[in-house]
Amino acid sequence: MAFGIGLAIALFLGTLLLLGAGHDPLRIYSRMFEASLGDPDAWAITLNRAVPLGLAGLAVAIAGSMGLWNIGAEGQIMAGAIAAAWVARIGGDWPGFALITAMLIAAIGGGGLLAVGPAVARAKLGVNEIITTLMLNEVAIRLVQWLVHGPWKDPDSFNFPLAPMLPDQARLPTLFSRAHFGLLIAAAVIVMASVAVRYTAWGYELRIAGSSGATARYSGISLPKKVLTVLVLSGAVAGLAGGVELAGTADRLTETISNGFGFAGIIVAALALMRPSGVAAVALLFGAVQIGGQSIQTLGVSSSVSTILQAFVLFGAIGAGVFSRYRLSLDGGSHSIPEKAKS
Amino acid sequence: MSEASLIGLLFATVSFGALLYLAALGELIAEKAGILNLGVEGMMAIGAVTAFIAGVEFQNPWVALIIAMLSGALLASVHGFFTVGLGAEQVVSGLSLTILGLGLAAYLGKDYVGLPPGAELVPVEWGGLSNLPWVGPILFSQAPIVYLALLLGIAASLVLSSTRLGLALRAAGESASSTDSAGHSVLGLRLSAVAAGGALAGASGAYLTLSITPQWAEGVTAGRGWIAVALVIFGAWRPGRVAWGALLFGGTLALKTRLQTFGVDFSPIILSMLPYVLTLLILLMISVRSRKRPSPSPAALGLAYRREER
Repeated sequence: MAFGIGLAIALFLGTLLLLGAGHDPLRIYSRMFEASLGDPDAWAITLNRAVPLGLAGLAVAIAGSMGLWNIGAEGQIMAGAIAAAWVARIGGDWPGFALITAMLIAAIGGGGLLAVGPAVARAKLGVNEIITTLMLNEVAIRLVQWLVHGPWKDPDSFNFPLAPMLPDQARLPTLFSRAHFGLLIAAAVIVMASVAVRYTAWGYELRIAGSSGATARYSGISLPKKVLTVLVLSGAVAGLAGGVELAGTADRLTETISNGFGFAGIIVAALALMRPSGVAAVALLFGAVQIGGQSIQTLGVSSSVSTILQAFVLFGAIGAGVFSRYRLSLDGGSHSIPEKAKS
Repeated sequence: MSEASLIGLLFATVSFGALLYLAALGELIAEKAGILNLGVEGMMAIGAVTAFIAGVEFQNPWVALIIAMLSGALLASVHGFFTVGLGAEQVVSGLSLTILGLGLAAYLGKDYVGLPPGAELVPVEWGGLSNLPWVGPILFSQAPIVYLALLLGIAASLVLSSTRLGLALRAAGESASSTDSAGHSVLGLRLSAVAAGGALAGASGAYLTLSITPQWAEGVTAGRGWIAVALVIFGAWRPGRVAWGALLFGGTLALKTRLQTFGVDFSPIILSMLPYVLTLLILLMISVRSRKRPSPSPAALGLAYRREER
C-alpha cells in the first residue's frame, strides 16, 4: 500500500525531473515497463533481480520483526558470496548437485558468521547493532576487493579485478529464459520464514519481544538468546542471497557482487513493514524499478535518473507509511510503533 | 623513506583528517540532537558536485564553498522533514538520503565530468611559519578549509558544552519530552542540527573538489561519508576526541596510496579496513566500560519525538 503511493509520488516527481531534462516521460516509462515486465525474457531478468532483493529484504525483516536493525546485509551478502566462491574453488570437480548444495550452505554460514559478532555484542553487552553491522559492511566489501584484486584474481581477466568464472556445474540451473533456480530457493525461504514468524510459538515470542522488551521478560522469554539467534539467522539469510547471486547471476566473484542489494534490502523490508510475508511483492516491484531504470540508458537517459527515481520511490513510501499510521490513529484504534527491543 | 615523502604523508594525513572531521562534526551535531543521519555519503557527494559546478560557473572558491554548504543543508533538510517532521524511521530515511544524494550528484555533474576546475582553494601562506622545517609544510601550508575545520570544531565544542543553545540541543538528544516541557522547540532544534550537519558534510565534499582532487567524477566521495559516521562513535560524541580520531583515520587514507612508494608489501585494501575495525573495537570498549559509567551515546538517538505520544 505504502509502496503503491510511493510509486505514484515517484512517477509524478520523476515526470517533472524527466521533463526538466528534456525527455518524454511517457516514452521513458513505457520503455521501463517493457524492459522489466513486458515479456517473459524481461520478467526473467526482473525476477533474477528480485531474488537477492527479496532475500536481503527478508534478512532485514526477520531482525526487524524483533525491532532489531540489520544494516549489515550488504556485507553479509559479500561474505556469503565469498564462502560460496571458496567452495567452488576447492570443489571444482565435485558433481553439480553436491557442489551447489555445498556452496549455498557455505554462503549461509558465511553470512551468519559475519553477523555473529554484532549478535553477541548486542545480546551480551547491549552494543547497538546498527553501527556494528554498518562497520562490518565496509570490512566485508574490502575483503572482496582484496580477494579479486589479489589472491583470487583471474590471470586471464586482462588485469580487471575479477575472480575466475565458476565451473559450469557450480551454476544454478535455469527455469525459463534467463530466470534461474534461485527464484524457487528464495520463494521457499520467504514462505518458511513468514510461516515461522507468523504462526509458530517462536515467531510469536519474537514479535512480543519486538513490541515490548519488558512484556517479553515478564513472560519468561530469554531476550539475549533471542537476539543472538535472530541476528545470526538474519545474517545467514543475507549470506544465502550472496551465494544465490553468485551461482545464479554473477557466475564469478566481483567487487560489485552485491551492488547495493543489502541496502536495498533494508528499504524493501521497511516498505514491507518488516513483515516477512510482504517482502516478495515489494522485492518484485523494486526489482522492476531497478531493471526498468537500467534499460532507459539506451534512450540516452543518464543512469543517475533511475537512482533518483528509486530514491523518490523510497521517500514517497516513507511519507505514505507515516500518513497511513496517522490515519489509523484517527480511526480511534490504538496503535504502537514497534519499540526497540530492550535487552 | 625520505624526509620529503614522510612530510607528504603527514601533510595528507592532516588534509584527509580535516576532510573527515568536517563531515563527522556535522554528524555529531545531528546525533547530539537525537537524529542519526546515515545520509552523510550522499550529502558529501552533493557538496562535492555543487562546489565544483559553482567553481566552474562563478570562478570563486568561497562562493562555491557557500553554495556547497547550502546544498548540503538543503539535502539534509529532506531527512529532517521526514524524521523530525513526520517521525519516520531514521535509518531508512538516512539510507534513502544517501541514494538520493549520490543519484542527484551524478545527475547534476554529468556535464562537468573531466572539466578543469574553475576555482580552487589555494593553500594559506602563514609567512615565516610556513617556512619552518617540518611543521611549516605539514601544518602551515594547508588549504584554508583545514583551519576552518579546526575553528568550527572548537566553536562546536564550546557551543555544545557551555551555551544555552548547546544545552538545549543536547537535551533534545537526551530527552525530547523534557526539553519540550522546558519550553524549547524540539522540532526547531533538531531540524537546525540536521541542517547544520548537512552544511558541514557539504563543506567536506567541497574540500574534495575544490582542493584535494580538483575535478568531478562520480564516486569521488569513495565511502568517506561512512568513515565520518564511524568517527562520531570512535570519538564518543566529543568534538575533541573526534578530531584526534579524524587524524588517525586520515592517516590511514593518506597511507593507503603511499604504501607502495614506501616499499611496504602490504595490501592498501586491507589497510583501508582499519578505521572500521578500530571503531568496532572502541565501541566494544565503550560498552564494556559503560557498565560502570553511563554510555556516551545520546539517550534519545534514533527515537522519533511525537508530542501526543510522550
